[in-house]
Amino acid sequence: MSLLNHIPKQSADAPLDIAVPMFEDAPLISGNQSFASVTNRIAGVVEGPTPKMWWVLFSFSVSLLMVLVGSVGFLVWEGTGIWGLNNPVGWGWAIVNFVFWVGIGHAGTLISAVLHLFRQKWRTSINRFAEAMTIFAVICALLFPTIHVGRVWVLYWFFPIPNQMSMWPNFRSPLLWDVFAVSIYFTVSLLFWYVGLVPDIATLRDRAKTRAKKIIYGILSLGWRGANRHWRHYELGYLILAGLSTPLVLSVHSVVSTDFATSIVPGWHTTIFPPYFVAGAIFSGFAMVMTLAIIARKAFHMEDFITINHLEKMAKIIMVTGLMVGYAYSMEFFISWYSGNEFEKFAFINRAFGPYAWAYWIMISCNVIIPQMFWSKKLRTNVAVLFVLSIFVNIGMWFERFVIIASSLSRDYLPSSWDYYSPTIWDISTLIGSFGLFFTLFLLFLRFLPMISMAEIKGVLPQANPHHTMYDKPGVAHQSR
Amino acid sequence: MSDKPKPMKFPPKAFQLDPDGENLIDSAHGKSYWRSYDQLANSPEFQTFLENEFPPGTMDLPNKLSRKKFLSLMGASIALAGLTACRRPVEKIIPYVNAPEEIIPGVSKNYASTMPFGTNALGIVVETHEGRPTKIEGNPLHSSSMGSANAFMQASILNLYDPDRSQAPSRKGYEVRWEDFTAFWNEQLTAFDAVAGEGLSLLSSAFASPTLFRLKTEFLSKFPKATWTVFDPVSDERIYQGIELASRQKLQPVHHFESAAIVLSLDSDFLFLDSNNVANSRRFSQARRIMSEKDSMNRLYAVESGFTVTGAMADHRLKVPSAQIMNFTIELAKELQNLGIPVEVDLPTSSLTVGRDHITWIKALAVDLATHKSKSIVLAGYRQPAEVHALVFAINDALRNNGKTITCYHPEHTANSSVTEYQKLVDDLGKGSVKTLVILGGNPAYTANENGEFLKGLNRVEHTIHFTDRENETAQNCEWHLPVSHFMESWGDAVSFDGTLSVIQPMIAPLFDSHSLTEIYSLLSTGELTPGFDLVQSTWREKLISGNFEQVWHHVLHDGVFSGSNYQAVRPALKNKNIFTKSEISEQNLPGLECVFIPSSSLWDGEFSNNSWLMENPDPVTKVAWDNVAVMSHSTAAKYHLKNKEIAKFTADGKSISCPVWILPGQADSTVTFSLGYGRTASGRIGNKVGVNAYKFKPLDSDIRQGVRVTGTGRFQIIACTQDHHGLDADKLAADAIHKRLPAILREASLDEYRLNPGFVKEVVEEPDLFSLWKDKSYDKGFQWGMSVDLNVCTGCNACSIACQSENNIPVVGKDQVERGREMAWIRLDRYFSGDLEDPEMVFQPIACQHCEMAPCEQVCPVTATVHTDEGLNAMVYNRCVGTRYCANNCPYKVRRYNFYNFTKDLPEIVKIAQNPDVTVRFRGVMEKCTFCVQRINQEKLRAKNNHQDLKDGDIVTACQQTCPTDAIVFGNINDPDSRISKLKKQNRDYALLGELNVRPRTTYMAKIRNQNSALNKNHFEKHIQ
Repeated sequence: MSLLNHIPKQSADAPLDIAVPMFEDAPLISGNQSFASVTNRIAGVVEGPTPKMWWVLFSFSVSLLMVLVGSVGFLVWEGTGIWGLNNPVGWGWAIVNFVFWVGIGHAGTLISAVLHLFRQKWRTSINRFAEAMTIFAVICALLFPTIHVGRVWVLYWFFPIPNQMSMWPNFRSPLLWDVFAVSIYFTVSLLFWYVGLVPDIATLRDRAKTRAKKIIYGILSLGWRGANRHWRHYELGYLILAGLSTPLVLSVHSVVSTDFATSIVPGWHTTIFPPYFVAGAIFSGFAMVMTLAIIARKAFHMEDFITINHLEKMAKIIMVTGLMVGYAYSMEFFISWYSGNEFEKFAFINRAFGPYAWAYWIMISCNVIIPQMFWSKKLRTNVAVLFVLSIFVNIGMWFERFVIIASSLSRDYLPSSWDYYSPTIWDISTLIGSFGLFFTLFLLFLRFLPMISMAEIKGVLPQANPHHTMYDKPGVAHQSR
Repeated sequence: MSDKPKPMKFPPKAFQLDPDGENLIDSAHGKSYWRSYDQLANSPEFQTFLENEFPPGTMDLPNKLSRKKFLSLMGASIALAGLTACRRPVEKIIPYVNAPEEIIPGVSKNYASTMPFGTNALGIVVETHEGRPTKIEGNPLHSSSMGSANAFMQASILNLYDPDRSQAPSRKGYEVRWEDFTAFWNEQLTAFDAVAGEGLSLLSSAFASPTLFRLKTEFLSKFPKATWTVFDPVSDERIYQGIELASRQKLQPVHHFESAAIVLSLDSDFLFLDSNNVANSRRFSQARRIMSEKDSMNRLYAVESGFTVTGAMADHRLKVPSAQIMNFTIELAKELQNLGIPVEVDLPTSSLTVGRDHITWIKALAVDLATHKSKSIVLAGYRQPAEVHALVFAINDALRNNGKTITCYHPEHTANSSVTEYQKLVDDLGKGSVKTLVILGGNPAYTANENGEFLKGLNRVEHTIHFTDRENETAQNCEWHLPVSHFMESWGDAVSFDGTLSVIQPMIAPLFDSHSLTEIYSLLSTGELTPGFDLVQSTWREKLISGNFEQVWHHVLHDGVFSGSNYQAVRPALKNKNIFTKSEISEQNLPGLECVFIPSSSLWDGEFSNNSWLMENPDPVTKVAWDNVAVMSHSTAAKYHLKNKEIAKFTADGKSISCPVWILPGQADSTVTFSLGYGRTASGRIGNKVGVNAYKFKPLDSDIRQGVRVTGTGRFQIIACTQDHHGLDADKLAADAIHKRLPAILREASLDEYRLNPGFVKEVVEEPDLFSLWKDKSYDKGFQWGMSVDLNVCTGCNACSIACQSENNIPVVGKDQVERGREMAWIRLDRYFSGDLEDPEMVFQPIACQHCEMAPCEQVCPVTATVHTDEGLNAMVYNRCVGTRYCANNCPYKVRRYNFYNFTKDLPEIVKIAQNPDVTVRFRGVMEKCTFCVQRINQEKLRAKNNHQDLKDGDIVTACQQTCPTDAIVFGNINDPDSRISKLKKQNRDYALLGELNVRPRTTYMAKIRNQNSALNKNHFEKHIQ
C-alpha cells in the first residue's frame, strides 16, 4: 500500500517493542477495528436492509424537492417577478443561495485535496461524504444562477459555443468567469470523488449478492482488482487531482466574489472580497460537514470512524476561519472609513444600522460571536454543542451573503432610487426546496455508496503499518495497549 | 387594490338608498326588494360583485395562485421540464391589394390638429402610422402649445384607444341604433317646437369653438325657452368674474411671462395645472433661462397652501392657507399703496398671521414689484374668490402690467362654465319643471352631485339623454346613452385663449359607433345627422374665412392654425373701486382644517381616470401613483396624531371622507390638499375603485372647505410611491446621507452666489484624478450623441415621462408592481427637498440613461446584450438579453428597467394600436432603458441620406426633448463644436452627475440657480437637509 512510504508517526501504531511516545494523540479510529470489520461496518450500511428512518428522511427530502420543482416551474412559467426583487435590488435570494451553496462546497474540496496534500490523516474519515456534499452543494448552487435569469431558455448563450453569428459571450463579465469557475469546479470535484470511490465500489462489487448490483457496481468500479499497478496509478491520479483541486479551493470563491468586487456598487466594490469569501466558504463548508457528520455518525453508528477527535479538529478550523471572517468584517469598516469615500462609508454604516441591521447583527452573532465558544475544549468536544453551533454558523453565513447583496443594492448612489427588498413566499420555497434537492441526493448517496472511504480508513489503521504484528492478519483487530 | 377582493354573496346584502342617490333601488321602506332583475343588475353592489367575481382585464397575479392552478403547474412543470423551446404563434399579415396613395408602409405621417381642453385649444401634431395615430406632440405654430405638450395632451391618445369606451348607443341599458335615437329626437323636437322649448334643458361642458358656438346659438334661437347650462367641475369662472368685477368687461387674460422680471403667483399652479400651462411654461422658461453668470433671469414668488410645481420653481415661497390668500393680497395692496403704487381699490381692514417673517416678506415683495413696473405679473389661481382676482387686476393695473405683460381679450365663440347656472338647473330638476334633459359630455353625477340632489332631480325628468364617451356614473342614470367620438375621430374647430382659430381634423375614422360633438350639436337642433366636415366647413366658409376659401382652408389644415386669427388685445381699465362688499376681512381662523381640492396631476377632474399612462404617472410632488392622498404637513399630522398612509376620516357640515394621509414638507399647516378625479365607479378597467372620490366632500361652488375635523382610523393603506421619502420616517441615517449627497447630486446656487463664483459647480465634488488603466476607445469621429438637462428651467411636470412612454411603448405595470418598485419609466423625475423640513425648497431632476462612455452596465453583461455604439450610445440588444439584471445592479443611476413579467401580455387588442411600430415591445425577462430615441436618430439619418443632405443640428429631437414645455432638455452631436449641445456643455454650470465615478456620462446637467431677493436671501449652501 502506498502508505508504506510514510509511516504515520503519531498514530498508536509503533511496533510493540518500540518505546511508547511521550505525547500521543488519541487514535484516529477507535473501537479496535480490523480491516475486515471496517469493510463490514461501512459496506454493511449499503448492503443491509434500508432503515425505516432513511425512508422517513427520504420522503421528507423528496417532498421538499417537489416544492423546488413546483417553485421553479412556476418561476419559469410566470417570470422572475414572483420573487421579491425590485428596481434597485436586482439580485435577491437566488444569488444569496448561489453563493451560499458554492461556499458550502468548499469544505469538501479542502478536506479531500488540501488536507490530502498536507498528509492530514484524520481527513480519511470525513473526506468521502464531504466530497459528496461538495458535489451536491455545487449542484444546488448551479441551479440558482440558472433559474434567476429572465429567459432561462436562452441560457446556453453563456457558453462560448461557436455559432454562425460569431456571437461570443462577454469575457469581461464576472458572471462569465463564474460559469467557467463553477463548471470547472464541479467537473474536477466529481472526478476527484469518483476516482476516490473506485476501490470502494470494487469492494461493493465483490461483496454484491444480486445480479443488478454486480453489474452496476461492476461497471462503476472500472475493472478494479486491487493490483499493485492499479494502486500505483490510482495513487498518482489521486494526487494529481488533489493538486488540481487545491487551487480551485481558492479560485472558485475568489471568482464568485468578483461578481461583487468588480462592480461599482458601494459595499461590493472591495478588494478584500476574494480572500474574505474563501475564508467564509471554508468556514461555512466545515460547518456543513460538521452538521452532516454528526447526523451520519449518529444515524449509522459510525462513532468509531468519525470520532470526537475529528469533530474537534473541524471545530478548530471553524473557529480559525470564523476569526478570519470577523477580521474581514472589521477591515471592511476600517477601509470604508479610511477611503474617505462617502458612498462607501454610508454603505457600511447602513449595513450595521440601516434597515437591514437585523440581518447584519444575525450575521455578526452567528459568524463572529458564537464560534468563540470553541475556545473551550469542553464545548468543542460536546457533540450537541457542535451540532447546534454548526447550524448557527450556516445561518450566519447565509445572512452574510444576504447582507452583502441586499443592503448594498437597496441603497446605492442616488437616494431617489432607494428601496427596500423583502422576499416573497416563492423566494422562501425555492431556498427550502434546494435543501430538499441537497438532502435527497445526500440520502441516496448514503444508501448506495460507502459514506466513508474504506480503503483510506484502512490505511490509517495501526495494522496498516507493515511492521505491525497484525499486518498480515486482515481479519484480526489490533490490540491496543 | 392590494387587498384581496372579497367575493360578495349573491344577492348582495345591503340595498340601502345611497345618500348620494347612486343606487336606483329604493329600500327606504325597510325591507329591501328589487323591482326587476335589470335594476338589480345595474346596482353598484351587483356591479361590485360582478367585478370581484370576474375582474375585467386584470392580470392573474401570481400571488393569488389557486390550489388548482398550483397543482396543474406542478404537474406541467415536471412534465415539460425539458421542453423549453416554445414557438411564437404564427400571425399572417395581409398586404394592400390597392395601396392607398401617400402611404408608405413604415413611414409615419404627421398631421396638425387641435385638442380642445376646457375653453382652451391646444395645438397638436399627431404622428400616424398607416392611418392610425400613435403619438401626440405640440404644434410649434400654435400659440397655446408652442411645440410642446403636457402629460394630458400626450396621454389623450390612450383615451382614443380606451377599450372601455361605449361601442354603441343604448337606451335603458339595451343596445340601440342611432336611427332609433334620431326618430325619438324628432318626436321630441316636434313636441318642443310647439312650446318653444319649454321644459327642455341642455347641460354641456365648457367649450370654445366657432362651430359649436354657432350650433348652440342656432339651437337657442329655435327653442328660446329651452335652457342651456354650461358646467365644468374645474373652471376659471372666478377669474372671469373677478376681472369683470374690476373692469366691468368679460375678458380672457393671457400672461406673457417672457417679458416679466417679477412674477407673483397667488395660489396658482400656472406652470402645471392651471389653464394654459404649456404656453405659460414655455414663456416662463424664456425669462428664466440663463447662458452665463452675466445673464439676468426672472424672479418667482409663490404664495400657496399646498406644494405645487410652481411653488417648487419659486425663488421665494410662502406657505399660506388658501383661504388667507385674500388677506395676503390685501396686505400686499396696502404695502404697494404705501410705496406709492396707486392701487385704486377701497381696501377693507384685514389681519394676517401666517408666519414669523411674512411682514418682511410682503415688504420685500412689494418693493420688488414697485421697482419693476410694467415688467411684472401678479396672478391668482382659479380657486381664489372673484374679489382676489379683482384686486389682482387692480394691482396689475396699478403696476401698469395690464397691456404689457398681461394681455386681455374679449373671448368669442366661448361658452364658459357657471356654477350658479348649474345650481339653478339642479333646482329646476328638483322642481320637476324639466321634461327632457340633454347632457352633452361631462359627468355631473360624479363631479357635481352635491347631497345627491342632481341624481334625485334626474329621476324626476321624463327623458334623460346623455352624450359621452363611456357609460359613466351619469350615463348609468340616464335613459339614453349615446357615444361621443374622441376628438381625434372628429371634425371640429376650436379657439384658444388668445383667439387663435384652429381646426380639429380626424386622424382615424370612429373606432366605435359614435358621432362627434359637432354632429351631435347639429343633430339636436335639426334632428338629423350631418357630417361634421360639412358643419365645420360651413362655419368657416360663412364666418371666418374671407377670400379664397379652399386655399386658406388648406393652409389651416396643414398648419393646424389659422394664422392671424387671434383677437385684438383690449386695454381694460379699472372701473370699480368697491370690490369688497365687506369693510373688514377677518382672519379666517376657523377651527379645524382647511381642505383644498385640486385637479389631479394624473387624472385631471376624472376625465383621464381610465388612462393607464396617467394613472401610473406619479404625482410630481408626492410621487404617489395609483391613488389620491390627503396631503398635510408634519406638524398638522402630529397635531391630530395621524401617521403617514393612515386612513383618516375628515368630517365637516355633515359630510365625511376617508382618505389615506400623506405627509409632505412644505404644506401650509392646518391645510389638507385632496386631488379630484379618483374614486370612480364607472370609469373602466383602470379607473374604477382607485382612490377616493373627493367630489363627495367638495362644496359645489368652492374648491375650499373650511372647518374640517379629522380623526385617524388606525387602519393603513398601501400606497404606491415611486420615491420613498426617507428622512421623514425618522430614518436619521438616510436623512444624513441625503443631506451630504444632495449638494453634489443636485447642484444649486443663488444667482448672487453664482455671479460671485461662476465656477461653483466644479467645486462641489472633489474629483480624484480620473484616468483609465487601459487605452480608452476614443469617440472623436462622426456623430457623438449627448444630452444636456437644464435644471434651472425644469419644472418637474412629467411631460417628458409620458412622451417617452408613448414613444417607446413602455408598459404600465399596475399599482401592486409600482408598490414593489418595478415601475418601468425610462425617464423619471427625482424630487428632493432641501432646507427646513417645515418650509423646504423642492427640486426636480429628470433622470434617464446617462449613456456613459465607460458604462458599468456594459462591462458586466455576460452575453454582451448591452454594448456601446460608435456614436456613443449605450445600446440595449433586447434579443440578446438573458435577464441577469447584473447591469441594473451596476448602474449607479438606476435607470435600467426590467420586465419582471410579460407586462404587455394582457394588453387589450385595441391598446396595441397605440404602440409605436418603430420600437420593439419587450418580452418578459428582458432589461430595457432609455435609448436616446435611437429610432428617431436612425430615421433622421436615413432621411438625410435619402435626400442627399447633411444632418443638421436640431434635426434629431428625442421624445422627451420635443415635448419639454420649458425646453430644458437638449440633444445633439457633441462632436460638432457649433451644435447647441456642445455650447451648452461648455457652460460653467454644466456638470456630470456622479462624474467622480469616471463613468463619463453623455448626459450632463446644468446647475439650478435661484434668483433670490437679497432682502430675503438665506444662504443656500447651508440648508440642504433632506
